[in-house]
This record gives sequence, structure tokens and C-alpha cells, in this order.
Amino acid sequence: MSETAITRTVVVTDPAGVHARTAVAIAEVVRRGQATVTLIKDYQRVPATEVLQVLTLVAEPGETLQIEAQGPDANAVLDQLEPLFAGQFGEEAQPFAK
Amino acid sequence: MRKLQGIAVSPGVAIGEALVMDNEGFRIPRRFVARDAVVDELERLEKAVAAAATEIAHHRETVSAELGEKYGGIFEAHLQMLQDAKLRSEVEEMIRQRHYSPEYAVSRVLRRYAQVFQRLESSYLAERASDIFDIEKRLLRHLLGRRREGIAHLTSPVLVLAHNLTPSETANLDRRFVRGFVTEVGGPGSHTAIVAEALEIPAVVGTGAFLTEVSGGELTIIDGDKGLVILQPDEETLNRYRREAEELRIQATKLEPLRELPAETRDGVRVQLLGNIEFPYEVDHCVDRGADGVGLYRTEFLYLGADSEPTEEVHLQAYTRVVQAMGDKPVVIRTFDLGADKMPNMARMEDERNPCLGLRSIRLALRNLPIFRTQLRAIMRATPLGKVRIMFPLVSTLLELRQAKMVLADVMEDLQEHNVPFDRDVPVGMMVETPAAVMMADRFVEEVDFLSLGTNDLIQYALAVDRSNKDVVNLYNPADPAVLRLIAMAIQAASRKQLPISMCGQMSGSPLYTMLLLGMGLRQLSVTPSAIPEVKSLCRSVTIPECQAVAQRVMGMEHARDVKNYLKEEVKKYVREITE
Repeated sequence: MSETAITRTVVVTDPAGVHARTAVAIAEVVRRGQATVTLIKDYQRVPATEVLQVLTLVAEPGETLQIEAQGPDANAVLDQLEPLFAGQFGEEAQPFAK
Repeated sequence: MRKLQGIAVSPGVAIGEALVMDNEGFRIPRRFVARDAVVDELERLEKAVAAAATEIAHHRETVSAELGEKYGGIFEAHLQMLQDAKLRSEVEEMIRQRHYSPEYAVSRVLRRYAQVFQRLESSYLAERASDIFDIEKRLLRHLLGRRREGIAHLTSPVLVLAHNLTPSETANLDRRFVRGFVTEVGGPGSHTAIVAEALEIPAVVGTGAFLTEVSGGELTIIDGDKGLVILQPDEETLNRYRREAEELRIQATKLEPLRELPAETRDGVRVQLLGNIEFPYEVDHCVDRGADGVGLYRTEFLYLGADSEPTEEVHLQAYTRVVQAMGDKPVVIRTFDLGADKMPNMARMEDERNPCLGLRSIRLALRNLPIFRTQLRAIMRATPLGKVRIMFPLVSTLLELRQAKMVLADVMEDLQEHNVPFDRDVPVGMMVETPAAVMMADRFVEEVDFLSLGTNDLIQYALAVDRSNKDVVNLYNPADPAVLRLIAMAIQAASRKQLPISMCGQMSGSPLYTMLLLGMGLRQLSVTPSAIPEVKSLCRSVTIPECQAVAQRVMGMEHARDVKNYLKEEVKKYVREITE
């Protein structure tokens, strides 16, 4: 159990980008865990629990993001976050309806 | 400082605080709060956020229950955006540090967020801007409470900036405090343009989208001569416009003594200068400028913004006000000139793909006789009160004119049967605003008492140009030789029969064309009341032979540009400054 930050790179494959529903799902996952999670695009860093800030990253399809997690369950949280960038929300495979 | 170019529709310069209205007539309020009010203001923000959150949570439950979790999810997103910690601290900071009002701070901060998304063209994420606006609107509604009404309740002078103004909004606006209009959409014939002209305040329309970048209370300049809007002007620009506004005031004062003098050329030919009005109170503007009458009383306002069709009494009340104010001077009342879409309680026409060429005006009147008869009855009842004249708009065939006259005869018969007094000899005329009416003018003159050239529509129909389409609006030009030939034809047809003919379009109010029009033979010009002094001053500076020479020269020209340049030079010989 390390307290150092783990960083993972993800590519946004959801054709709608990181949209409102993704942002809400990300925030929910992070709040359930103990790790502090930051999303990074280029030089912009935002806390993963702040939906509005996550949206302002404007992560469009095909773009690359870094997810930085720090805490006892960092790896587990990152595992849960990753599919969200592909638009997979567990029970449904479709992205949020337009 | 930011400059926006739009279409100039009502002249003058106004400098003042912006009142920003969104699509729902929602008002974005003023900027600063008192230093000692900051704590209270923060508390007000707190309450508004809490109330908005409760409301959104409620929506989430209802929508989820009705349409499923997936749809309720968008409200969950709104809720979380609203409660975003950084957003909150940014808003609070603005209130605490800069003493912004919570309303201003909220719209300022949220609009900055919205801009991030708006910059993304065509992306799915770009639509997130509307989520932000939705949150802004919700918060403002809670912050403002009852104070959110639009332009009906004002306490200080403002410049109204809006996407578009609806007839009902302008009908209810507080005239004492509105100093100018800017709308993102609209063209020269738009409702805003007409209302601004009626109020004699500057207006610019068709600027394109900009409202998301301004907030209420910001210093703004409206240049109604150049069609410019300047947001947050720098000191230099502000001073320049203040000087200009002052000069305009001085110039207006200089023209004031003209009120008592007739519009008579140097060689003693009397020109009738009449006023165009839409609202009854404008008759006072005509009287103030010493107008020779009302050459065009548009009656559309009676229908616009009303929930139901106006009664005969409502019509009569408006006409009485105007006719009595003008005394023994003529008042030309034009029957309604609207499309079905603007009439209360009238079904919208299906397939009305081209309203300008559709069922409107006299065509609509002849298809809806009860409405038409109500108006004609009221006009006839006003005839004993002064010098009333009736005018039919958009006549394009002789049959239409005859039908309209038959309806009028029928109305008269009906009034007589009921012993209602009216003037049987009321002069009946028509607008000449379609090329068809010009081509048939020699026949029309046999059946009417007067003609009035409506150049706004005539230009549009002759040149096949929609004035509100910015891609072709440059083709819309009163100086186009094709238009001038049509005008000349109509004047010739009328003068052969010695029938009075006037012009009541915007062209007649522009001093640029005064010499040309007099030279072409017009002796009656009906203009927007504020233009009377300037046009009169020019009439009094010229002789008819001078004007005829100008007209002769112009009629030989091939391009609108040449005509305009030449007229500018000519007019300059008589007056130093003219506004086009």
C-alpha cells in the first residue's frame, strides 16, 4: 500500500468526449474510494470530484488525459475510472443520450 | 472595449448602462453592491444556491421517475456543476473583493465557463454551454425573485440589449427610461426598428450573438448612425461620443426655429412634410416639429402583442387621439399591414415559406372580412373628427383595390343604416409598393384619390432582396436606377391625372434624396417625425429648377453608387452635414 501518486494515461474513446454524464460518473467513483484523484490535460489539472472543472478540460474524442491518484486504493479507483473514458457505464454501453 | 457592427435602424447616439435581456425576457442586473452589504449579499447567494439545488434535485427525481435514470442524469450533472467548489469560490470572491452584486458575479463567472464550450465549434461538448446558461438562469431567478421582470419596471435610464424584442415586450416597456436598443437579430423592418424610430432613440439590430459576453450595468455606447455598438468603451472613445452627442443636441436646437416656418423652396414652392407614425403618442412628435399632417399612420401596433383581436372601440380610441391632435391637418390611416403570423387568434398558414410574398396585408384583410370591417368601421367613425384619409397597403391588382373599396362601401352603408355619423367623401388611396402597382399605375389612378409610394417594400420587391438577409442586404439600395425608374413612372401616372402622390418610405426621410425627389416631381414627403427639421431645412435651401437639374442628371446614371456619390456632393452644397 503506497502513498505515492500513481499516474495512468487514458485516451478518450467515447465518441461524445468526456461529457456531463462521464463527469458525474467519475465524481461518484472517486467519492466512493479513498484516493485523491486529479485529471490532467496538458497543463490543466482539476480535481476529479468537481464536475464543472472536469468538463472545462474539454476532453474530446481521441485526446489523451492523465489520471493521477494518490491514496491506499489508488489502483482500484483507476481501474474503475478507465472504462468511463470509453463511454462504458457498467449497465449500459451507450453514451449519454443527446 | 469591444465593437460590434450591426444594421443602423434608428439614428442618434446613446451612452449609458446596459440592461441585458436574454431569450426569455430575463434581465441581467446591475453590477455593484455597497461595501457594507457584502455579508448580506453572500447570504443571499447562499440561499439562492440552496433553493436552486433543491429545485434541480426535484427535477431529477421527477424526470428519473417518468423517463428513467438516464434522463434524470442530466439534472444530476447540473446539480453537481452548481455545487462545484471552485465555481462557488470564484463567485464569492467577486462579491467580496470587487463588490459585484451576486447576480452580476454569477452571470460573469458562469458566462466565462460557457465561453470555454462555445469556442468548440460543432463538437458535442459545445452543447454544454446551454447547460451552463440553464444553471445561470436558474440561479438568477432565485436571486432576483420578483425583480426579474424585463423592461416593464425600470427606475433609471438604460440601453436595452436583447436577442430579439417581442411586440409584447416593447408594448410594455417603460418609455421614460429606455434610451436605446440593440438586438442580436432583426433587420431594418423589424419590430425593434419601428419601435425605436417611434421613440426617437438610437437602435442597432442584427449584430449577431454577443449577449453572453456582457452583463447588466456595463457602460455601453449605441451609435445609431453608423450601426455600431461599443461595449465597455475606453476613455478616448467615450469622450469622442460624448462630444458627438453634445453636437447633435446643439444641431437639433439650431433646427428648432424651423418649426414655425413652412417647408417652402427658395423659389416659393410649398412642399408638404408629413409624419410617419405607428403609436398614437407619436402624433405629439409630429405636432412638435410642425408637420403638415400624418402621411402614414401604421395601425399594426393595435394587433401586435395583443392577446385578442382589438375591438372597434380600441381602434376608435387610438384614431381619435391622432386625428384630434392633428386638428385640420390630414391623417392618412393605413389599414393593417401584417401577415397571419402576427395576428392574434389567427391560424398560422401552412406552407408559408416566403411570408413577404405570402398572405399578408390587404390580401389577408380580404380573406378575413370581419377583422377588416371592424377596422374600417372605426376609421369611418373617426372621419367626423378631423381630416381622415384611408389607405390600403400592398395592393397588387385592380381587383384587390375594387374588392377593398366594396368592403368599405358596405361598411358605410351599414353605418348609415344605424345612423352613425361619418364622412362619405373620405379620400381613399393606396400604397404603391409592388412593381405591379407601378406598372398598372395609369389604371389605378382612375380609381383612387391619392397614391403613396412605399419605398421599403418597393425596393425589396423590385430588386428581389430580403433586407434582413445580411448576405444580400448590400443590394438593397434606394438609389438603384431600377427603383428610381419605378418611382418616376408612378409620379408620371399620378401627375397626368393631377392626383396627389406622396412618398412614405424611409427614403423620403433621408435628406440625401430630398433634392432628387423634388426634382422628380414629388411635393409630399411623409417622413419619420425626427427627420422633419432636417428635410425641411434642405427644402428651404433649394429651388425647384436646381432639383430638376439634379434629377435629370441622376436619371441618366447606371449605378446606385454613382447616384449616391453624386447626390452627396450636390446636397453638400446646401447643407454642411447630412446624416444618411
